[in-house]
Amino acid sequence: MRKIRVLIGIFGLDQHEVGALSVARMLIDGGMEVIYAGRFNTPSKLMRIAVQEDVDVIGVSCHSWEYIDYTPELMELMKKEGVDIPVVLGGSVITPADELVLKNLGIAAVFGPGAAREDIIATISELGARNKNTAG
Amino acid sequence: MERFSRSGIPVKDFYDCKDIGQTRARDVSKPGEFPFTRGRRAQAQSMGGWIQRELSGEGEPSRSNEQIKYLLGKGQMGIDIIGDSPTMAMLDPDHPLAANAVGTQGVSLCCKDDYLKLFKDIPLDSISISSSLPSIFGLTGLFLAAREAGIPPAKLRGSVIQAPFYSEDCGYAMHMPFDLRVKLAADVMEFCAVEMPKFHSFVEDTYFISESGLTAVEEMALGFVEIRYLVREMIRRGVPVDFFAPRIAILLNCSMDFFEEIAKIRATRRLFARMMKEEFSARDPRSWSVVITSHTSGLTLTAQQPFNNIIRGTVQALALVLAGVQALEISAFDEAYRTPSGESHLVGLRTQQVIELETGVTRVVDPLGGSYYVEYLTDEMEKQIWQMIQDIESKGDPAALSDKGYFRSIFNKAIERYARQVDEGAVKVVGVNIHQLPPEEDMLLKDVAEQKISPCRERIKKIMAYKESRDVGKVERALRELYNLSLSRNQNLVPAVLEATEAGATTGEMAGILRLAFGYPYDPHGLIKPVVEGIGQ
Repeated sequence: MRKIRVLIGIFGLDQHEVGALSVARMLIDGGMEVIYAGRFNTPSKLMRIAVQEDVDVIGVSCHSWEYIDYTPELMELMKKEGVDIPVVLGGSVITPADELVLKNLGIAAVFGPGAAREDIIATISELGARNKNTAG
Repeated sequence: MERFSRSGIPVKDFYDCKDIGQTRARDVSKPGEFPFTRGRRAQAQSMGGWIQRELSGEGEPSRSNEQIKYLLGKGQMGIDIIGDSPTMAMLDPDHPLAANAVGTQGVSLCCKDDYLKLFKDIPLDSISISSSLPSIFGLTGLFLAAREAGIPPAKLRGSVIQAPFYSEDCGYAMHMPFDLRVKLAADVMEFCAVEMPKFHSFVEDTYFISESGLTAVEEMALGFVEIRYLVREMIRRGVPVDFFAPRIAILLNCSMDFFEEIAKIRATRRLFARMMKEEFSARDPRSWSVVITSHTSGLTLTAQQPFNNIIRGTVQALALVLAGVQALEISAFDEAYRTPSGESHLVGLRTQQVIELETGVTRVVDPLGGSYYVEYLTDEMEKQIWQMIQDIESKGDPAALSDKGYFRSIFNKAIERYARQVDEGAVKVVGVNIHQLPPEEDMLLKDVAEQKISPCRERIKKIMAYKESRDVGKVERALRELYNLSLSRNQNLVPAVLEATEAGATTGEMAGILRLAFGYPYDPHGLIKPVVEGIGQ
């Protein structure tokens, strides 16, 4: 059985990479496969990589406020293109108030700065397993 | 049980004279004397103090100008400007990837008029102006603003950061090849050695690399490797070492391991002095005593229980003051979860003022000098840093190492190591892996995170209009000149950048032209085309 595949990327010009790399390592240690898109992604670029790489979950690391504008754009685009992959967001700048807004946009899970390692791994593998099954 | 400092130096229960009897601590004479372990000067800080400042920069240049005046009005002694992420990446505000980031994490700067607005009515001849901008543009912008205000550039004090080795891997990637990054750094240093002799044209920034989770030894070893490379490059260009060495400064990090951080700074001064005198044959004592500027660690700050960050900043700042730094910035208590607010900058400034004016710790220079433990740690830090420098230099040409991803792998390992140490509790972080609070109780100082800075979309329109209004022929000629000079490889590019900026060219355009001249794409993100046709094809 193939491993759950997770895309990890960062939006726009947010150059903070420590969080993305730490989470990537965490997921690999948790038995998943990580496709690392790194920095400087537009929503369309992230979606393109996600489709090409046939990932089960898209994870975006957010340490600047750019996600406020890019997230709705990504979700719109995926809807328009009929791409059905759960998107999760994590990062230091996400507040409880943001979490509600993001959930309303259809974000599958949000991890603020206090999120526990076990929760991140469990949630992403569950989302990934579910998506993998529906995809056949 | 064996115990170690953060860098892995073994530590005993206590230290006495036997631990330092046979070491170099014996030859540590007075502060202000070679090898400067105990400080650059013999006078206590209270005779002049260190430069107290906080980072500033937000939104449009005029908004940042207000912010600077506010901080100066509150007793800040110098300024340190940070660009927004497009500016730091050398992209103009109208670049498609910049749209959601203009002005949110710093000030947006891209043309001459921006610098004039940023520095309007700031006394450039009496306070020091530092910037964390890409060095060539930070320098030329300041130069032009001073000239416009009738202030001779030779009077300017302040600094720019040179980070040619590590900027691509760990921080603000400029998407330029190693050779170009080194050339721009050396061009700025060479230009300043002649035109701006009071200006620190080379700040070695070990702060930002250290934020990946490097140990104190790794931080300084990587810093010295870069310093040594640029010093050799300047000597190769024929600039006498005593012309530029007094203008080198190190901007270092201060993490939580209190005594190790103090020892790191003392060891750094000693290593620098020996290196300059013995290896590079500097004769001017000012070339031996390096200026240390500092920033407390952002990595150690937490989004949980943010009030703890004020305490961390205070402890780290105290370490820096005891170590005798020349300038200090405290990472804002809210920067773990937002771009720092005005209030948090004021807390940082007040922390420094309380340390200076209320505690009395500045009455004497190097109050910890002679402490068995601190002297032992200083010796150990010196040994280990030096060993790692030699180890890295023995691996060969840094350009090749950089291209192979050698440096990046060091940073990535540090990131993983630190995350694991916090995860497993090997590094204790109060509020994160010990003494946590449930979210409903963890409310103090959290509300500030909900106040966000929106991108300045107006600014994007203004810059597009500005580009339309320019004399395009003049801009094109200046950019072609910059391109041709860059191809020659041995001409200093600072004058051409000054001229192109005067002609109306922007940061994004000049950076793109420089990339083309060095065989890289004009736009690293492949989204825009050069303003000048027929170049680099």
